[in-house]
Amino acid sequence: MTAEPTKDILEERLGRLTPADIRKAVETFRAALGHQGAADLNACVHCGLCADTCHYALTSDEPENPPAYKVNLVMAVFKRYFTRLGRTVPGWVGARELDETLTREWVDVLFGRCSLCGRCNLNCSVGLNITALITAARAALTAIGLIPPELQSTITTAYTTGNNMGIAQNDWVETVQWLEEELQAETGDPTARMPLDLHGARMLYTVNPREPKFFPLSLLAAGKVFYAAGESWTLATDYYDVTNYGLYSGEAPVAGELSDRLVRTVERLGCQELILGECGHGFNANRWAAPEWLSKRYPFRVRSVLELLAEYIRDGRITLDPSKHTEPVTLHDPCNLVRLGGVVEAQRFVLRHAVQQFVEMTPNREKNFCCGGGGGQLAMTRYAQRRLQAGRIKADQIGATAAKVVATPCHNCMDQLSELNKEYKLGVAIKTVCELVAEALVLPAQ
Amino acid sequence: MAGLDPLRLAVLAAAAWCLAALVFQTVRAYRFGRHEIHSAAAGVSLKGIAYAFGPGMMPWGKESAARHLPTYLTGIGYHGAVFAALGYLVTVMSRVALPAEWRIPLTAVFAAGAAGGIGLLVKRAVKPVLRSISCPDDFAANVLVDLLLAAAIASLWIPGADTVLLATAALLFLYIPLGKIRHCFFFFYSRILFGIFFGRRGVLPPRPRESQP
Ligand code: SF4
Ligand code: SF4
Ligand code: SF4
Repeated sequence: MTAEPTKDILEERLGRLTPADIRKAVETFRAALGHQGAADLNACVHCGLCADTCHYALTSDEPENPPAYKVNLVMAVFKRYFTRLGRTVPGWVGARELDETLTREWVDVLFGRCSLCGRCNLNCSVGLNITALITAARAALTAIGLIPPELQSTITTAYTTGNNMGIAQNDWVETVQWLEEELQAETGDPTARMPLDLHGARMLYTVNPREPKFFPLSLLAAGKVFYAAGESWTLATDYYDVTNYGLYSGEAPVAGELSDRLVRTVERLGCQELILGECGHGFNANRWAAPEWLSKRYPFRVRSVLELLAEYIRDGRITLDPSKHTEPVTLHDPCNLVRLGGVVEAQRFVLRHAVQQFVEMTPNREKNFCCGGGGGQLAMTRYAQRRLQAGRIKADQIGATAAKVVATPCHNCMDQLSELNKEYKLGVAIKTVCELVAEALVLPAQ
Repeated sequence: MAGLDPLRLAVLAAAAWCLAALVFQTVRAYRFGRHEIHSAAAGVSLKGIAYAFGPGMMPWGKESAARHLPTYLTGIGYHGAVFAALGYLVTVMSRVALPAEWRIPLTAVFAAGAAGGIGLLVKRAVKPVLRSISCPDDFAANVLVDLLLAAAIASLWIPGADTVLLATAALLFLYIPLGKIRHCFFFFYSRILFGIFFGRRGVLPPRPRESQP
């Protein structure tokens, strides 16, 4: 019911493309590619060996799924507009005009068949940054309004309301106040806080708006751990959203503004550190991409909450009782946090202290498979069937561990894993790392 | 320039064109825009680069190699043979006579390379994934290189066949910057950037497992 009309908007836009639109798309594409994109598109050898590194290609024979096909679609336009042979004898080198047919294919394949997980980057024969190439093409499409409207609306909501779920500020504040009461009840300490706008707090904590909206206990779990560690922390009343879907539309100015709000909030509150809650793409966006979008070196440190948890355990600031979790627990590595983010061992270190039986998936760490929910796929409901099909690889990985609990430090992954849980009847519980830590926490005696 | 007949001069001119065009293309790629890096590093770029050209090229470093071992090994052999043929071309250009006992091993290397090249060509023609991404340039590039290897074998055994090798080499050098063989240059550009990307993010080289964060 909801997918059809939005599909029509995209179709309608596709049917109204003008030469000026195409020029704008090509210019945006060029700027987004940068020197690395240009070098990569000159370096691809069309070997096709990346094909079976992608969960889309591994779960369906459709010819559009291999990363090589996606790169080739991007390369066709690069050759047509930016190489001599591509301009003079396009057929010889596979160059193609960015016309209505190709733009339609770009939308379907580059938005609809890629979760920007970067698994192909790591395994490409040459080492192309394939996700950057696909993002550059997405940026070109977004510039002319050819972004699937469901993804655009997530970005617009974040841009206009300050968070991607459009939570009103008073609702957010009330939720945090209610959680504070819960924390006080759980700890038996009436001074326990879930601070808001605490000036001079050591760190600003950011969350996925999905937490206050649907899973407030997940935010409470973080509050409980910070309480136990005696942390000086705060949430912000205005900008607390760690997600940034601009990473997936390729629209750098918008993505930059979303991240800059967090930067400004850290500065406004005089914090020394920005701690990013459990969100794969939010980590990649705010830790790695944002300083480049904003051409800014941050005067404060940016870390994942996982690194902080590991530090608490290592420094003896929190004590965990792994006997609280006796069932086997496995870990899903969010691509944006691990393969593209570099936070690889912290979550393992934490889980080994929080649970009794920790089982690795195969493959894992930087080689792990995407759950299938990244790249904006969860937002783009029109591609839901493909997303669930591509997630079969992840479901098989989970099934092979025989674990009863899947830990994942990403709320986006949690959504997709929950759907996979139902679709493939996995019968597992899915939790964030913070939740598992909070459950195993030995609170200081009052 | 004693000893430089028109064909040798043509090879030199084509090689100079090739190099100049590749440098020009690199500058052009660079002009697409380069930004200073602002994010704080979590790892070491140089270690990433060393990994990219070392363990990262091995079958255990990338699935594209591990899952396609025969193709990977064929590709290595093919490229090895091409570099050997270019080395041999230098001796022909400078009229250095190789010891006779080198002829058989060199022939074996070139023939194995050419056979590998033809194998890859056939694979490209029949495998649906490869067909869907291939264009005439992909086939032409392969054929040109195979011809170079064949001409190198001919010149080892047939008096006067040096001219065929020189003509093929000139043609190849002229074509390199125009088509996909320019990857011989851009491979290094991309691979270095790959190393920097994963190196400074602390992803590669992989950290010791179970290490304390
Ligand atoms: S980034 Fe991931 S989903 Fe996209 S083509 Fe590569 S492997 Fe497939
Ligand atoms: S493995 Fe890399 S070089 Fe080969 S086709 Fe895929 S993207 Fe191109
Ligand atoms: S949803 Fe999770 S696993 Fe999938 S791309 Fe994002 S971070 Fe990766």
